[in-house]
Amino acid sequence: MEPQRKRWKGSTYGSECGSDSWTVYPVLSDEQSQDVELVEAFAAPVVNKKETSRLLRELSSLYPMSGLQHIKRVRAVKGSPQPLEVLLCLVSDAPHMEILSIDSLLPSGVKNDAFGEPFRVKIPARPPLTRPQFEQAGKHWPTSFHEDKQLTVALRGELFSAPQKARMHAYMMSAVTAAKAGSELGMEAVGAVVVDPSTEKVIAVGHDSRGDHPLHHAVMVCIDLVARSQGSGCYSFDQYATCTFTPPASDTSQSAPSSLPYICTGYDLYVTREPCVMCAMALVHSRIGRVFYGTACADGALGSKYKIHSQKDLNHHFEVYRGVLEKQCEDLTSQEGFQRRVDY
Amino acid sequence: MGTEKSFCPSDEEIEKWMSSAFDMARDALQNGEVPVGCLLVYNHEVVGRGRNEVNETKNATRHAEMVALDQLQDWCRRSNLDVSGVCERTALYVTVEPCIMCAAALRLFKLPVVVFGCRNDRFGGCGSVLDISSAVLPQTGNTFKCVSGHRAEEAVDMLKTFYKQENPNAPKPKTRKE
Ligand SMILES: [Zn+2]
Ligand SMILES: [Zn+2]
Repeated sequence: MEPQRKRWKGSTYGSECGSDSWTVYPVLSDEQSQDVELVEAFAAPVVNKKETSRLLRELSSLYPMSGLQHIKRVRAVKGSPQPLEVLLCLVSDAPHMEILSIDSLLPSGVKNDAFGEPFRVKIPARPPLTRPQFEQAGKHWPTSFHEDKQLTVALRGELFSAPQKARMHAYMMSAVTAAKAGSELGMEAVGAVVVDPSTEKVIAVGHDSRGDHPLHHAVMVCIDLVARSQGSGCYSFDQYATCTFTPPASDTSQSAPSSLPYICTGYDLYVTREPCVMCAMALVHSRIGRVFYGTACADGALGSKYKIHSQKDLNHHFEVYRGVLEKQCEDLTSQEGFQRRVDY
Repeated sequence: MGTEKSFCPSDEEIEKWMSSAFDMARDALQNGEVPVGCLLVYNHEVVGRGRNEVNETKNATRHAEMVALDQLQDWCRRSNLDVSGVCERTALYVTVEPCIMCAAALRLFKLPVVVFGCRNDRFGGCGSVLDISSAVLPQTGNTFKCVSGHRAEEAVDMLKTFYKQENPNAPKPKTRKE
């Protein structure tokens, strides 16, 4: 499912720095992104097409197949002398049989000679949640599909308009700039920006500073800077010129200060690299609105190792997108690797 | 490597330091704060002590463990000791299972052992929601050992009392009253 990554070292610079040089994809939950789960069933062709609706009525009272409402009981088979096939029952619901036969499957109530030779099929166990799952499911047996149109568009990488992408590009660009500034101070090259999408205002810009404190990852720095933008917070990052926040006084649109610490409610975070477990959970605690990251990382907790944003049992979930300015963000990490090799 | 891995407090130490952690938690509860007590102990000395500071800092990451880890760093600076050398022989005592975030933070500090009271069904990072303490995360510090269940019921009761107070239907007391 992973889209192919392009790495054309020799391509022209111009095409690589515009907002058309990257594509943003949603990072979905396991339920939404996993392969279709299948369950075994018995099916049989219908001899006389005209009897189909009566047979379906009888079948559904004999074998209701509850929990599989997404499954269409009949499918059309192109170019067959018996153009319709129906699902009789799940293998697990069928009576014990020595040999597969329609007589043993339909002991009473349904006219046996209305069906052709029964056979085993695999059918989708769960309703498809995305168009790719729907298409994959359909290769086994037809299902219904309540399409989330926005999700389908998002999966094509087309959710955001050109002006939206241009803004996202600018936000991530300042995260990249912050990452570089941090890297020059000997920190890991990771930068982050918090934006209020309702006002399009940048609330905080931060970079990694774990050289001073092992927990001061770019995201943690930004969360505290957001707290400072609301007149609170507990650290000072004033020694870092690139770690900034919008001071509370200059923010006239701010409503009365809330007593709740859910300070990132409704905000977007742009971060060059996928957050680690600590940072991802810190974003849950802070009630972040959406997260956009440039490049994935092995221990990442918003898609790679965990999907904390869609973790069941947690009290806050949020949308995550990856791929914003992917090339530039990836370069930050690879340059860092290069520098380290030189250092040691 | 071997000696660090086997570093683990004795039963008497657990008894003693958990009792302090419970005193802290009870104190917090009486002051209308999240009833979590947490101590970092190195070489029979408390080097970090934390309580939840989320409300006053508006920083939702200021859990007791995070506050205590900051104190540990300050202590090392004052004592002119190397943080990682100290952490290797430091145990965390906390009345409630650390959350996912704090568990990852403890890994990043390379703490070898965490002793906790009750499970944390809402956010627990040592097995209740996710098991960050033992997960394979090569870029996220070290795994750590958990010793759990010490006076668990007592810890749960304090949390229950606290969340009952926090019930949105009940009139809400000011968080920072004298
Ligand atoms: Zn992190
Ligand atoms: Zn925590």
